[in-house]
Amino acid sequence: MPTPTLLQSIAITLIQCVLVVIFVFVVVPLTVFAERKVLGHLQQRLGSTRVASGHIGVTGWMNRGMWKWGRIPVLSYWRGIPGLVADVLKLILKEDIIPAKADKFVFFIAPAISMVSAVVVFAAISFVPGTFFIFPSWFPGLAGLPVSGGIADINVGLLWILGVASVGVYGIVLAGWASNSKYPLLGGLRSAAQMVSYEVPLAISLLAPVVLTGSLNFSEMAQRMATGTSAWGLVPQVFGFLIYLTCGFAETNRLPFDMPEAENELVAGFHTEYSGMKFGFFYLAEYINMTVVSALAAGFFLGGSWLLPFGLQGLVNKLLPAGAWIAGPHAIFFVAKIIFLLFTYIWVRGTIPRYRYDQVMSVAWKYLIPLALVNLLLAAFVRCAV
Amino acid sequence: MFKNEEMEINLGPQHPSTHGVLRVKLRLDGETITHCKPVIGYLHRGVEKICENQTFFQGQVWTDRMDYCSAVANNLGWAEANEKLFGITVPRRAQYIRTLLNEFNRLASHLIWLATHALDIGAMTVFLYAFREREDILDMNEAFCGSRLTTTAFRIGGLREDLPPGFEKMARKFLAKFPTCLEEYENLLSENRIWKKRTVGVAMLSAEDAIALGVTGPVLRAAGVPYDIRKAFPYAAYAEMDFEVPTQTAADTYARYLVRMAEMRQSARIIQQCLDGMPEGPVMAKIPKILKPEVNEVYHATEAPKGEIGYYLVGEKGSTNPYRFHVRAPGFINLQSLPKMAEGGLIADIVAAIGTLDIVLGEIDR
Repeated sequence: MPTPTLLQSIAITLIQCVLVVIFVFVVVPLTVFAERKVLGHLQQRLGSTRVASGHIGVTGWMNRGMWKWGRIPVLSYWRGIPGLVADVLKLILKEDIIPAKADKFVFFIAPAISMVSAVVVFAAISFVPGTFFIFPSWFPGLAGLPVSGGIADINVGLLWILGVASVGVYGIVLAGWASNSKYPLLGGLRSAAQMVSYEVPLAISLLAPVVLTGSLNFSEMAQRMATGTSAWGLVPQVFGFLIYLTCGFAETNRLPFDMPEAENELVAGFHTEYSGMKFGFFYLAEYINMTVVSALAAGFFLGGSWLLPFGLQGLVNKLLPAGAWIAGPHAIFFVAKIIFLLFTYIWVRGTIPRYRYDQVMSVAWKYLIPLALVNLLLAAFVRCAV
Repeated sequence: MFKNEEMEINLGPQHPSTHGVLRVKLRLDGETITHCKPVIGYLHRGVEKICENQTFFQGQVWTDRMDYCSAVANNLGWAEANEKLFGITVPRRAQYIRTLLNEFNRLASHLIWLATHALDIGAMTVFLYAFREREDILDMNEAFCGSRLTTTAFRIGGLREDLPPGFEKMARKFLAKFPTCLEEYENLLSENRIWKKRTVGVAMLSAEDAIALGVTGPVLRAAGVPYDIRKAFPYAAYAEMDFEVPTQTAADTYARYLVRMAEMRQSARIIQQCLDGMPEGPVMAKIPKILKPEVNEVYHATEAPKGEIGYYLVGEKGSTNPYRFHVRAPGFINLQSLPKMAEGGLIADIVAAIGTLDIVLGEIDR
């Protein structure tokens, strides 16, 4: 394999960035759509499961036509898509109001901070350990060069992820402050306290798989989990996983911990004064953060992108024809794990009510942090023993 | 260098969980409420004064528009107050149908309470489930009188029309499935840790305070006072019905939840009895075309889903309009207890307190 020149590596990195951004902006609208559909089915809503099952246009044709495509379960899943399209159009086209007494610069920059910190985390996430694909020989300038499964496969991946993700709280606090209004201020204050508190057990719970595998690097951890006895991380880390997931819900401000927004108390919390695409940025950031949390869970507790634990992967690889493109299916399985975790988010939202603010804090400090510490200690013992 | 300051905040009149146009002035120390003052009147239409300028027959449409979630119960109170004023005896079948519809209305009202209360606390699914069942009740309203919400269901002296064909089937079908629906809500809420954390010990109102403030309905019964006008001063066909008055002693939001859930079961029981024991006969008494009062004044109280709704009517000799009309609206009087419930609690608790009071601003402001 040829070594890339500086220019070539920059080009490859840019291509990777584009791929990741495309991934993010495909997954997010799909998650929003899935949320409508899943909640629609959970709660027996009429709109999101039936919109466009009507009689006009393409969808009408699909319903009425000779073949009645709409009756086939998979194909009937387009129902509800018009709602999604209308929603996105509304976000983009709506008037963007900045309150007269707001701090205009901070008001403007806050959604950007939230969004950027959410997207940048993906830099350190490997979708596939090692090489994702090799440029074919006809590709101008980059022929034969490998593209790795993550943008920056750095050896302090976890530190980067936690560091960048925690910047996101600034977006929320600044939004609450800059709006110069009381409900956003309360929302901002709540979120500052909540997110800072939950970062502690979140980080500690993530440390346990690090201790078990002995690496901070995303793809290396995945590789070590696939081989050896620490299979998938989930098996020895069930509690760690649950703690992580709970903290993940809190970090992304989802029910039952959606304190900063708590629509029935604080109207819309920190983004009460936001409209149009600025609000859209917060909205997108929330869903990107959900994807990030799910990706981390997949990487740290569900064995990264690997197909099978307990060394079974080696067997599968033997069965596959030599030179088969294994990275593709790996990436698909990684995404499948993310999708399952995103489904869990929606599922929980459809099931349980919201904690009160003081209860949220006591859950973090009185239960989650001690439990996470105990879990870490156990992991350390296991590591020494094995 | 640092100093503490209390923040004054306006909850409403436009706010997702003030159930209409209630405005609450709050003073907050952090998230703790130190001072709470409800401000009302944003929906004032002068219902009482309007009714004084209309005949006794015309007044009923205004009672629909007070507590629009329990229009039938309001209609019943109005019709019976007038019947008391004019000394009219209502046929037995009409009494049964009135009782039946009134209990259906109680279910609809309690379902709205459950839906919005749960939504306020974050349980979105219950909201949609409860509305699904309420829809069936509204369909029955529609079948009976053509209207779903503002029913104007009754007439002074009985009913305008008998039950439509097929109504009994609808009602029985609903009764057959309703217990499982209740179980569905209870599965989601009753033993839910978060639900209990948000409601147990929240927005307390002791029996003494409740009585001193004139609070009635499920809020009073959840404080251990078994006062239900259907039992204490039976009206319509309630004297012939076999039902219990559910009470709790904890006097908190969770107790009110339990009381209302139990009440829904009792309502279903009453409906069953009405359907089974429905007498035959006319549904309208013989009354004159023009009503002029003989007795001077009358107060008639009935048990609306939210508490005691009382109608005070003063008739003038020779006039076809009431001289004075006043409504003792349960929501208006129950709302007085909001500061008592909310002060000292957190801002999230006032949302639970408003929800548990089950207020409708149309009735409070009138």
